[in-house]
Amino acid sequence: MEKLLFFVYSIGILIRIYLSFSDFSTLIADRVEVSTPLNSWKRVIEGVSLYNEKINPYDGDLFHETPLTLVFFSYLTSTISDFYVSLVFIICDVFTAIVLYYTSKIYTANLLKEQSKTKSVYNKEFNKLLIPNNFLIINPVYVFSVYMLNPYTVFSCIARTTTVFNNLFLALCLYAMVKRLRFLGCLSLVLASLPTFYTFGLIAPLMISCASTDSKKKTGSFIITLLTCVAISCSLLYLCYIIMNEWTFLDSVYGFILNVRDLKPNIGLFWYFFTEMFEHFRALFVCAFQLNASVLYVIPLSIRLRHDPLLLATSLLALTAVFKSYPSIGDVGFYLSLLPIHRHLFYFMQQAFIVSCFFVGCTIFAPTVWHLWIYSRSANANFYFGVTLAFATTQIFLITDLLFAYIKREFALKHGMKRMINGREARLMLD
Amino acid sequence: MKCLCCLLLAVAVSTVHARSESYSEELFVKPLATGFVYSFFQFTVVREGGSFSHSDLVPHSLGDIIDRFRVAELHIDLTSGLWRHKSWGYPAVDAPSGAEISARFHNDTQDVNKNWYGLTNALSGLLCTSLNFINSANSYESSADRFYRYSNLPRENVCTENLTPWKKLLPCDSTRGLSSLLNSGRVHNANYHSLGIHFRPLCNNTSKSSKYELRQTVSLVYDSVFISANNKNYDWSLRKMFGTGLFRTCPLADYSKIYIDTSANNSVPYVLSQNPDYFLKENIAVYNLNGIFHLSAVMPRPKVVVSDLKPILYTDRFITGFGQEYGGLVTRIYNEHRLPVIVTVIENIPWFLPIYYHTLRVTSNGVCVMPKALIYKPGKGRMQIYYLEIVLELPSHSITEISVQFDYVFLKWQEYPPDANHGFYIGSAIVKASIPRNSTSLTFDKSLIIDNLNSSDSSDSDYLIILKTENFIITLPTPDFSMPYNVICLACTVVALAFGPIHNITTKRLKLTTAKYVPGLASVVQKSYLWLENMVCYKNANKVGKATSVRVFTPEELSYHPTLGHVSEEFMKNQVACKES
Repeated sequence: MEKLLFFVYSIGILIRIYLSFSDFSTLIADRVEVSTPLNSWKRVIEGVSLYNEKINPYDGDLFHETPLTLVFFSYLTSTISDFYVSLVFIICDVFTAIVLYYTSKIYTANLLKEQSKTKSVYNKEFNKLLIPNNFLIINPVYVFSVYMLNPYTVFSCIARTTTVFNNLFLALCLYAMVKRLRFLGCLSLVLASLPTFYTFGLIAPLMISCASTDSKKKTGSFIITLLTCVAISCSLLYLCYIIMNEWTFLDSVYGFILNVRDLKPNIGLFWYFFTEMFEHFRALFVCAFQLNASVLYVIPLSIRLRHDPLLLATSLLALTAVFKSYPSIGDVGFYLSLLPIHRHLFYFMQQAFIVSCFFVGCTIFAPTVWHLWIYSRSANANFYFGVTLAFATTQIFLITDLLFAYIKREFALKHGMKRMINGREARLMLD
Repeated sequence: MKCLCCLLLAVAVSTVHARSESYSEELFVKPLATGFVYSFFQFTVVREGGSFSHSDLVPHSLGDIIDRFRVAELHIDLTSGLWRHKSWGYPAVDAPSGAEISARFHNDTQDVNKNWYGLTNALSGLLCTSLNFINSANSYESSADRFYRYSNLPRENVCTENLTPWKKLLPCDSTRGLSSLLNSGRVHNANYHSLGIHFRPLCNNTSKSSKYELRQTVSLVYDSVFISANNKNYDWSLRKMFGTGLFRTCPLADYSKIYIDTSANNSVPYVLSQNPDYFLKENIAVYNLNGIFHLSAVMPRPKVVVSDLKPILYTDRFITGFGQEYGGLVTRIYNEHRLPVIVTVIENIPWFLPIYYHTLRVTSNGVCVMPKALIYKPGKGRMQIYYLEIVLELPSHSITEISVQFDYVFLKWQEYPPDANHGFYIGSAIVKASIPRNSTSLTFDKSLIIDNLNSSDSSDSDYLIILKTENFIITLPTPDFSMPYNVICLACTVVALAFGPIHNITTKRLKLTTAKYVPGLASVVQKSYLWLENMVCYKNANKVGKATSVRVFTPEELSYHPTLGHVSEEFMKNQVACKES
């Protein structure tokens, strides 16, 4: 198993290094699916060069990262050469994979521990529903390999999108969840959500997983986690203010995300929707879509999935990756690599084949129709919109399938696998 | 009696004012190198005294606007066509295609922007132009002077409806004098035509009172082959160009003159039908106008005319790249002078063409050069243009290239103009330079053309030229304009696809059932009926006062559990086993 791990590790790194220093890197970085206005490296460079010329980059329309990112990249690009900047991205990506590996390992170990406690309750018939011990070894390898070899994450890393750093912080946050490290969790969560905003919803799984087991102290623990997050984000925002000496960056970062000012196509739903929106309904639909993307699902899912914070985190990440205003395939790649953690649910998933076919289809079709529309001018915007719709639908199928699998497994553990009532065929129904 | 006194007084006042204003009409004709004829009309009023509340020659409508909005200097040009510097030399007034307006306000102006928008709105009414479309997204203030505003509307279509109100501003309207030559049918037939209104203060150190100059200009370029009778030679005449000869001069004008530049006579001679009154500097024929006048020129042998003096500085501008995703903008400046020239390049790029500052490259003959000064103000969507001002020293005999990368922006569907696939016009860049006077044949920085032609300080002093580059069109990617309802429906459907199942998962629980699926409202009725039935049964049970005891299931009746619904036999067996133990 260690050999396999090392093999995946070296292959992943080699692919990244090869593509980063070949001509493909600019080609990939220019793809709309990979680079959005929010994470593209070109815009980071633009912001940094303006900042170095003492021009406020937030006066312009091109730079939308936080001042912290600005200062970090300003320092990074001024101290090391372009070659090493690429290496920094690759190292961060590999580090993310390693963090996810340990997250998966600890999570599976926790699952097994819990299972051995409740095992006695279950009937012998459920043995095949039990998580086998070899998951402890195999699952982390799957997670690691998916992250290292998934073309989505590979492209995102080669294009040097800031999603790479975002994913690193998110992985740290997930690690802190399974390790129940409150401060690390809060810090990484805030660092991940300051530039992208939407991932703040992950505070719910963080609160649940960091809460103490004693039910009396639970509320207090929730509040402590929340306050820690708020305190860290306030202090970081104030730090941003100190760097820029004015608050205009708030509008340039969060105003830009929330008002959907850039309508450049991406894999999400916002761009064409708000291109074609009637102006007087715009505010209404912006609110509706942003609520849908940020807070709508947080509370219901937190209540339903309160026993499995990592599944909650995965589904929230997936939902924001579908519904956020500037999604990129880096986000998709990240939550896809979290799926093998929940391998015990795969038995109950029904649409894996359709979903995977659609993933492949959309990945091929998107660049094709983009080329037809933008370069050869023989297609129009509707073609690309169709592909993004299909891609969003596929991802939604995947998420709902995963959630259904979870509740079906819960049911099966309680009631058995046979769906018979008085010898007659019965069906499972939500009621 | 009182009335008479008032009248006399008024007349007296007006005569006093009349003395402080002088008016002159001039026409300058120059055959250009490639068979084109350039004619430049200039109607000049020079006036002493500040306020425009009383005036004889300055049009009241314009004077009021200038007074009201505290304008110190104003330039308006309405142009159609492209001036080709390389083959035609420098025009008297350089104007880019479309409408261009710039104004400087008095230093005591409180709210410059308010006055600027007021001014453009008033002028749009006065000249029937779309200057009212000027807003913060297409105008800029100068980096050096905060009272200066500039804007251009490259899409503006200049036509008769602009010429007519423009002519009304002249003292003699279009009935007499040189302005009677300006017939809209002929003017708009020209290869290049440009109407201008230029108002500026004049420096005079001698007297304390302020002195202003209002010039109304028309530049026309005709293709002499096109207007000649048989389409074969380069003959031209006033009648061929303007459709009419001159009949009466304007009595209000102090000067009424026509100048013909005959400097091209050295290479290809042409014969003028009338002898000029006199020659100025040997090659400029001057005609004083006083009555019926006609003039024609005959060129015996049509030939390609060689330009006498090539312009030392000219520009080129184009976009690079293909597709509608990423592009580049290149401005080229050619310096043909034997000495280095310092130029200032001002690019004003609209917000829908976001440029990347870090991709800005300035090369001269292929070698990177550092600009002497650089001012960059990034643009903001729908609010502010991208303003780039570069001061460069052009090496002698060089081609300097300023290139910058930009993105194609995707706009909201209602922001596209009608005929969206025609594209968006991008206004010209401005190149300013001071060149030695002797490197251009004609200079036009004095009030009257005759002063310019007469000017003797030819050698040392610098002459400021302002070049306007070409406009260009870019076609931004368009959405499907017929789709709004479909897009809204489809996108909302996808959102609902997620909302529905997640709502079910989070609010309902799984049950095994053999019940048939009951659709819609019927299921609600059925459920409420069951609920009512349960309520009644519960009440009955209470009334009777039955002892509620734990019921032990026998294995035969195990398939239904009152709270869990239909459950499996195994589960029930377990339950029973638990109870029994």
